[in-house]
Amino acid sequence: MAAPLRLKATGASPGVASGPAYIAEPPAVAAMSPSAVSGHAALAAAIETAIDELQNLATGSDAESGDIIDFQIEVLRDPTIAEMAGARIDAGENAVFAWVATLDGYVRELESAEEEQLRARAVDILDIKNRVLAALTGTPVEDFPVGSIYVGKDMEPSRFLAHDWSAGGGIALYAGSAAGHVALLARSRSVPMVIGVGRFTTKRGQHIGVDGDSGVVILQAGKKNAPPPQAAHQMTNAAAITDNGNLRTADGSQVLLSINVNAPDEVDAIPAATTAGIGLMRSEFVVTSLGDAANEEKQFSVYRRLLDWADGRSVTIRMLDIGGDKPLSGLTEISSLRGIRLLLVRPEIARVQARALLRAAVFGNLRIMLPMVTFPSEVDGMRQIYREESSELARRGVPHRVPPIGMMVEVPAAALMLDQFESADFFSFGTNDLAQYLVASPREDADFALSQARAVPAMLRLLRQAVKLAGSKPLSICGDMAGDPSLTADLLAAGIRHFSVAPARLPAIRSAIVGLNADGTKAAGE
Amino acid sequence: MNGGLRIGNREAEHVHASCQTEVEVKHGVGLHARPSVTFTRLAKSFPCSIEVAVNGSDVWLNGKSIIKIMGARIRKGSILKIRADGILAEEAIRALKDLIERNFDEEKKHGRTA
Repeated sequence: MAAPLRLKATGASPGVASGPAYIAEPPAVAAMSPSAVSGHAALAAAIETAIDELQNLATGSDAESGDIIDFQIEVLRDPTIAEMAGARIDAGENAVFAWVATLDGYVRELESAEEEQLRARAVDILDIKNRVLAALTGTPVEDFPVGSIYVGKDMEPSRFLAHDWSAGGGIALYAGSAAGHVALLARSRSVPMVIGVGRFTTKRGQHIGVDGDSGVVILQAGKKNAPPPQAAHQMTNAAAITDNGNLRTADGSQVLLSINVNAPDEVDAIPAATTAGIGLMRSEFVVTSLGDAANEEKQFSVYRRLLDWADGRSVTIRMLDIGGDKPLSGLTEISSLRGIRLLLVRPEIARVQARALLRAAVFGNLRIMLPMVTFPSEVDGMRQIYREESSELARRGVPHRVPPIGMMVEVPAAALMLDQFESADFFSFGTNDLAQYLVASPREDADFALSQARAVPAMLRLLRQAVKLAGSKPLSICGDMAGDPSLTADLLAAGIRHFSVAPARLPAIRSAIVGLNADGTKAAGE
Repeated sequence: MNGGLRIGNREAEHVHASCQTEVEVKHGVGLHARPSVTFTRLAKSFPCSIEVAVNGSDVWLNGKSIIKIMGARIRKGSILKIRADGILAEEAIRALKDLIERNFDEEKKHGRTA
C-alpha cells in the first residue's frame, strides 16, 4: 500500500478519528420561501399531512379515541380556520405563525368556555396545532452513515445535531472556522474535527483519517493503522467527583463549575452531581426551524427535561440567539439582525419561547439569559414581553413563574457599561463573540483564531473592568476562554468565580482551579 | 355542442336554489363534539353554502365550520334556523333537518354517552 497522503489543515476539535468518507452535497436553499403564495400552499400541504396521520391513527383505535380523532380532522378541515390563517398570511405573516396565532385564538376561546365539555377540547386542538407545525417544519436534513468522516465545504449545526456520533466519526471541512458553531459543537461532544483543508478529492466510502490534534487529514489511511475510535465521553473519570461543581481554590475561595449544553441528550452521560448545573443552554440548537420556534410544547418539554436532570441545580437557558451567522431555517427576512434585536423585532418568536420558559420555571431552578444585548432598553423590552405573557398565563390559570432574567455580555458596548444594566439579574461573559467584535475579525475567517489569541490581553483587561462594574450581581463566564486551562489563572485573577464549560472540559478546568489561589497565583507545592 | 351546453345550464338552474327551515334540537347534549362533527360533515358534503342561526339570533354561522357550530351553545330545546343557498340547497336542508330530528344518529352509535 502506498504511504498515506497527509493534507495540512487546522485542528478545530481535538482527537483522532478514521472511517469511510461521506462527501456532503452543498446544503439546499431555505426550505420555505417567504412569499404569501407558497405560504398558503405550505400550510395546506401541512394540514393534509396532519389529516393523513390522524386517519392512520384512527384505524384500529377504539370508539372513544376515534371520536376525538374525527373531531380533530373536522377542525383541520374547518373553513373558518383556513380563512383566518389565510388572512394572516395575506397580511404578510409567515405561514407557521399564522397557523399558531389562529389555533391559539381558538384554544383560548375553548379554555374560557363555561361548559366543561368545551374546555376539555382545548387539549385536542393543541395536539393538532403541533401536528401541523411538525409537518410545516419541512424536510429534515439528510443524515449520513454512523462512524463516517464528514467531508464538505461547511456543515450546518442542525446536521451535526441530528447525527449519532456515539460510534465515532469525524469532520473535515474544506473551509470552516475553529470559532464557528459546528466547531463549538464538535468540541463539546469530543468529535475530532479539522478545518481549512482546502478542496481535496476522495471517493465516497474511501477510508480516511482526521487528526484534530495536529490538524491533518490522512488520505488512503490503512484500516489496520486506524486508531481506535475516540472515547465518546471523557466524563467517566470525573464521574466520581460529586462535589456539585462547588470547588475551592487552593486558598479556600469558592468557585462554581457548570456545563454548557446544546441539546438535551448531551446531559444523559453526565451525572448532575459533578456540576453546579447548566451555565449555558444554547436553545437555538434545539429550535432549528421556524416550526420549532412556534412550537411551545416542544420547547417546554426540552426545558423541562433539563430541569429534571439538574434536580434543583441552576439551569440557565439562553433565549434563541438566531440571525446573522446562525440563520433559522424558514426565517429568511431581516437575517442581518441577531440575538435580542431579532427577538424584539419578531416578538411572535420571543413570546412562544417566553411562555415555554415561564411554564417550565415551575419545575426547577431556571434562569433566563438574553443573547447579544447591547443596551439596557433591550433588557427592559424583553422584560415587558415576559410580564405580558405571565399575566396572560395567569388569566388562563396555567401554572408558571417568572425566573431571574439575565444577559450575555458579548458585545463590547455592553461590557463597558455593565453598571447601567439595572434590569439584568445576572451576567455571563460570552467570550467568543466578545473577542470577535473586539478585534473586528469575522469568525468565519480562518485566521480569526490567531487574532483571538493575540487579543487575550485586551480581553482580560475588558473582563477585569466588567467584573468591577457588575457589582454584587451573579457573574459567570461561558465562552471558550472558560474551557481553556491555560487561561484559568488569568480569569480567576480578573475576579471570575463561576465557570461554565463544555462537559469534556470539566476535568481539565476542575484540576486547574483547585491548583490555583483565588488571585490566580500557583498554589504552594504546585 | 351548443345544445349540450344549454342543457347543462338548464340543469344548473334547476338545482340552484335558496332554501330555509327551522327545527328544534331534542338531543340531550345539544351540539357537542360528536354531534357537531356529524352535522358539519354532512353540511360539507353539499356544494351550496349552509348557515345556521340559533334561537332567533340574527347572526348566521357557517354551518360547515365545526368551531362555529360547537361555539354556538346549542342545547336541548334550542331552535335552529338553517338556510342554504346554491346547488342542491333543497336536498341539503332536508338532509340536515332529518339528521337533527334523528338526534344526530347518536343512539345508533354509542348509546347515551356524551
